[in-house]
Amino acid sequence: MDATPRKPGETGFNILLLLGSIFLFYQAYKIAGFSALSSPGAIPMAASAIMVITTCIIVVKEFARPKAEGGAKAFFTQILPFTIAVMCGLIILFAVVLQQLGFVLTGLAFLWVSIWFLQKRSPLSAALIALLCVFVIYVLFRLIFQVILPEGIIPERDIIASVKNFFAGAK
Amino acid sequence: MPETLQYFLMTWTQPQLLFLTAIGTFAGIYIGAIPGLSVTMAVSILISFTFSWEVNNALALMAGIYMGGVYGGSRTAILLNIPGAPSAIATALDGYPLAKKGLAGEAIGLSTTISTLGGFFGILILAIAAPFVSEFALRFQPRDYLLLAVMGLLLVGSLSGGSMAKGVFAGALGILLGSVGLDPLTAEERFTFGYTDLMTGISAIAIMIGMFGVSEALDQMHYLSMPAIKQRLTRIVPSWQDVKKHLPLGLRCSALGTFIGALPGTGGDIAALMAYDHAKRSTKNPEVPFGEGAKEGIVAPEAANNAAVGGAYIPMLTLGIPGDAVTAVIVGAMFVHGLNPGPLLMIERPEIFWFTVGTLTLATIFMFIFGMTGIKIFTKIVEWPKTVLLPVILLLSIVGCYAINNSVTDVWWMLGFGIIGYFMKTYGYQLGPVILGLILSRLIDDNWRRAIISEQESVVGLFTGIFMSPLSLFLFLTIVFLLFSQTKLWVKLKTRVLGRSAKDVTIDPTQV
Amino acid sequence: MKRTLLALSLAALTSVSTFAVAAYPEKDINGIIAWGAGGSTDTVARSVAPHVEKILGGTIVLSNKTGGVGVIATKFVDSQAADGYTLLMNAENPQLYKVMGLADMDYSNFTPINVLARGVPVIVARKDAPYNTIKEFIDYAQAHPKEVKTGSTGPGGLTSVVLAMINTENKMELTAIPYDGDGPALTALQGGAIDVMPAVLGATLEHVKAGRMKVLGVVDKEAHALLPDAKPITADYPVYEKYLPWGPFFGVFAKKDTPEDVTAKLVDAYNQGSQDEAFKKLLADRGFIQLNIAGKEADDFLKRWQSVTSWLVFDAGIAKKSPEEFGIPKP
Repeated sequence: MDATPRKPGETGFNILLLLGSIFLFYQAYKIAGFSALSSPGAIPMAASAIMVITTCIIVVKEFARPKAEGGAKAFFTQILPFTIAVMCGLIILFAVVLQQLGFVLTGLAFLWVSIWFLQKRSPLSAALIALLCVFVIYVLFRLIFQVILPEGIIPERDIIASVKNFFAGAK
Repeated sequence: MPETLQYFLMTWTQPQLLFLTAIGTFAGIYIGAIPGLSVTMAVSILISFTFSWEVNNALALMAGIYMGGVYGGSRTAILLNIPGAPSAIATALDGYPLAKKGLAGEAIGLSTTISTLGGFFGILILAIAAPFVSEFALRFQPRDYLLLAVMGLLLVGSLSGGSMAKGVFAGALGILLGSVGLDPLTAEERFTFGYTDLMTGISAIAIMIGMFGVSEALDQMHYLSMPAIKQRLTRIVPSWQDVKKHLPLGLRCSALGTFIGALPGTGGDIAALMAYDHAKRSTKNPEVPFGEGAKEGIVAPEAANNAAVGGAYIPMLTLGIPGDAVTAVIVGAMFVHGLNPGPLLMIERPEIFWFTVGTLTLATIFMFIFGMTGIKIFTKIVEWPKTVLLPVILLLSIVGCYAINNSVTDVWWMLGFGIIGYFMKTYGYQLGPVILGLILSRLIDDNWRRAIISEQESVVGLFTGIFMSPLSLFLFLTIVFLLFSQTKLWVKLKTRVLGRSAKDVTIDPTQV
Repeated sequence: MKRTLLALSLAALTSVSTFAVAAYPEKDINGIIAWGAGGSTDTVARSVAPHVEKILGGTIVLSNKTGGVGVIATKFVDSQAADGYTLLMNAENPQLYKVMGLADMDYSNFTPINVLARGVPVIVARKDAPYNTIKEFIDYAQAHPKEVKTGSTGPGGLTSVVLAMINTENKMELTAIPYDGDGPALTALQGGAIDVMPAVLGATLEHVKAGRMKVLGVVDKEAHALLPDAKPITADYPVYEKYLPWGPFFGVFAKKDTPEDVTAKLVDAYNQGSQDEAFKKLLADRGFIQLNIAGKEADDFLKRWQSVTSWLVFDAGIAKKSPEEFGIPKP
């Protein structure tokens, strides 16, 4: 039997997965019930049933192991230390404002803040790196591969058009 | 025959075609390496771009991009643990651990060599056996695809790491995630909760980038203070002995890759995963355990995914049926250029076939050259300070993920699964099975339903069908064997019959 | 590396027309293709675009936004500004969104810039099937209920609509095996997994010519030039005339209330662009009938299509809502 102590938060996470699996099984059941073996809900139901069963096994096995020590404090030092929590927060914030503010602004801000935060050195060097990276990514994706990145509040297409016209005029 | 040779050598002798193939291969390697830029996307942009070109020029460029792109995916998989393309997932499993040990150069060198081998193998089969292979591939019925998918699922066993229950959970989660959205067969909504954004499903690549790239980047933040790993670059070209040792495995996986690639409905991603599974089962004593940097774990998927390129061309050139997503776009491009890809193409325009074979061969050679030359600069990236590298990886993941389908929702999913993946990894869940389930989800779901509908909803009928068809029976028995060979009974039997220690084949019971 | 990037970016720049005018288009136009790379809509949208760009004097940046039988792309374009800088390239599907319960919008929320072409449905069968014409097939299927396996490409797709037509006029029971498009289904037909399949002519043409499958007939009022031997369905069953001509179509659409001078420019550019010989040949080779219509003609076409198809799928029981709810008149 496995006698290693549980990691902080492990039980909570596994129980969350179990609850999630039960919810998903119910959702899968709602697709088509037990109407037919060939229904669109058949495989999702089978998959979610397996998820419920395996998480049950995992949780039961879990309780056989010694409890995690240190409580919430251990969770925030071992599993989710300050740095990672902040980075997760930054990522989520980035995702939320990406659409409204556009890629160029949010990308720059994200890189600048996160490099600065991680390096804990001069904000200027972080800004320079951020600028360079965003520039390279923008040229590669938007200009060469014509991937329209979220434009947000910067009228990129107008700027590109005017740059293009400038060169066209020069010809 | 001399005509055939003439068509074959067309790309080799015309400077313009030679140049385009080279450019294509070069660009392909980088397109493949950057997550989110896919070969499918690049080729479809080229349809408009090459509209006014000669058809040969366009085809040469596309063949180069295709061959280079499939190989390029392994770069980022090895260096950053972000597979540049789904077909490079299996490469990340052992490639990234090698990079963590400072052996990225060696890993890339080996993957280049073996990819070249796989590429040549696929082309060889394309050249000598295309009509035969495509006829055979067409015989695959829905139940055979289902059996193939089940065979792929057995890989969960090898990917589970510590806990089998957690591995199976992860695999089932992947299958479930793959089914989200409007059901492609009946347009029924599954797990959409009424949101339009969910109708299109959750992009597999978004989940892949999130679970591999983002969660790894988060994990790495535990070790910010540790200096970046110095990469040893003394040995890039693998030694002849190394190649010779892995040659048999490489050839077996190439054969597997070619065939899986030739099946319409399966491509390089599934081929690479099945090859990885095969390597894990057939390698008795790897120098390093799988998952910790076994060279076999790079050889198998890299041979298979590049062999699948030649394989995918097989049904396309002989029957006009694309073998995967990229060849589907190339079929479209051929139409645009006034060709009629179909069973008559080989009769009406035989030169196209041999021209393609020649171009692919050339592209494979270029792939080797470009693959072997850029390694030093590339590995330098991993030596960047983590404080810069990790944010850049995160940003690149976001852009790459957005680029797949121009969707911000995909980005949210990617970040969400990145964070979930981080916790799963921390608590001992392997992420490999999630991706495996995701990739196999459609194959299982679609073909299960097709197979069972064909038998009027009768499971008995399905099994009768399996036993009546030699092909299905063969696949079925293979699955039974693969399952049985993992049980203790088999080990006992084997020990008794062969009288040798069963140590190398037993699964540690504490690990199940 | 740098040099290639430079070369590529130069190439990208030169491919862009250097023409500059003050009026529309002042910037790149985003063309949203509702279907995946390599499909009919994608191929056609991408091959007409270069000709249109020449006339328009601007760039159309095409991207695929797939999923939900085109709902995602359609809703996306509808959510953008009505300024003519975001165009939708989609097939016939939006006309069924309402009755299928997928979205509460259809092409009446858009201004048609050009309905480019329509496809002709044919019925094909595996080459050793015991019937050679549509009539023989219908007789056989009626005599052997549930035995004939047909491919289906989802409710509202071409296959389901054609089968709904046949079911309305000549009742029969088939086993429908679902596929996610006519490509995979036609592959399955050659492998013997299904017996018969209604599909768009262009997708079957090369296989029929090579004798890998046989065409039972054309679901149209007259025979098609590319398959002159296939009889039209109306030859044996004149009753089908009321549904025909029917077929999938694709076109380019702008959001409703886009300024008229902008749509006029687009209509004109697409009209001229689609008259290019190479593009015409591409359509003809794939068996599509070029429509090249806009304005009232396009509106009428779209309305008629919606009315015929909505009622067909509703009567066949595959629609979720009645066309009456949305004021779609009976044909």
